[in-house]
Amino acid sequence: MAGGWALATVLSKWALYVGALGAAGSALCAMVFSLRMPRMHVIGFTLLAGAAAVMGFLLKGVALAGDASGMVDGEMLSLLWTTQSGSALRWQLGGSGLLLAGLFLPRIAAIFCLIGSAAVLGAFLVAGHVADHVADRDGLLLVVVLFLHLAVAALWVGILTPLRGLARTPDTHGAAADLGVRFGRLASIAVPAMILAGGVMAYALVDSVNAFFGTGYGRMLMVKLAAVAALLGLAALNKLRFVPALERGDTSAGDKLARSIAWEWGAVLLILLATALLTTSLTMPM
Amino acid sequence: MRTLALAGVFSALAGLALAHSPLRTTTPADGAVLAEVPQVLELQFGKDIRLTRITSTHAGAHSKQLDLSTEAGFVRSYALPFEGMGAGDYVIEWRGLGDDGHPQSGSFAFRVD
Repeated sequence: MAGGWALATVLSKWALYVGALGAAGSALCAMVFSLRMPRMHVIGFTLLAGAAAVMGFLLKGVALAGDASGMVDGEMLSLLWTTQSGSALRWQLGGSGLLLAGLFLPRIAAIFCLIGSAAVLGAFLVAGHVADHVADRDGLLLVVVLFLHLAVAALWVGILTPLRGLARTPDTHGAAADLGVRFGRLASIAVPAMILAGGVMAYALVDSVNAFFGTGYGRMLMVKLAAVAALLGLAALNKLRFVPALERGDTSAGDKLARSIAWEWGAVLLILLATALLTTSLTMPM
Repeated sequence: MRTLALAGVFSALAGLALAHSPLRTTTPADGAVLAEVPQVLELQFGKDIRLTRITSTHAGAHSKQLDLSTEAGFVRSYALPFEGMGAGDYVIEWRGLGDDGHPQSGSFAFRVD
């Protein structure tokens, strides 16, 4: 595929990751931490994920035809629809629909949002490198591990905006400290589990140490790990310094926490860009 | 870290052409020099694939698509009727869909003296 189309494929995957994790994460955080459902965020992220999923699907049509005609070629697109790519799109759009429906159905919102979030994240399980290994001996374990990895990543992405919003306003510093403490408590278990899950997948998918250093895939994985390390550093700073300072009533800690969370967003975007490159453009070492 | 990330992005994009190419063997072989234009092109893949486009370019100028209308389903071997345009260099570019949903592509070349 020519460079422009390849770049569009990477960007659509990146947007899909940001949208799907943002949508599922915002909804899940609201439920887990009893926050007001951030409707506009969930709608925005869900629409981004849906549009990116459709664009990614159409770009596969381009890859099959070799030019833009593939985006509207019924034969190419119906062929794609019958494969894992079609299944992933159906899960993504179905999940997005449930999430959006959940926002406007007050009594059963939680069920719709929960199932919708699970489907949006589950879409990543039905296509891609892990799905390719489902038939293997450890395939089911990999699927469970990837889902865990995605769920924790979504919670992390989902907490950033509400926590930053609370930290920026002096009136809500107490609420920011409370949310920061509760998220920190959950993260102290969930984040090591997410890292362990990522390690298990990396080990299963790239099964030689040399492959980490000797291939484009391995090098991009190292870029992702470096960004994850930076993110962990920021999270530790928040948990050990800024959130306790907010609890003590230090008003200057609010701005510091908000700034740190803005940097966390930067690290998250870099991690998801590296992941988009890993899952679209790079050949996995065998 | 920004420099490292950008270097990673560009090196990844530079490696795009290598992504997902499961073609094992072809007849004529890549780089072969033949005395006559072949009547059939054979492509043998390592996994099942559905070819969606295959284009022959002669002497870097004249391109035409090969007929895939009789092919259906996902298979590993293709034998496609080939109408050449005389002596010269031929580049065969193919595109297809793996049964796992991954688009795949590649090319091979031969010369007729």
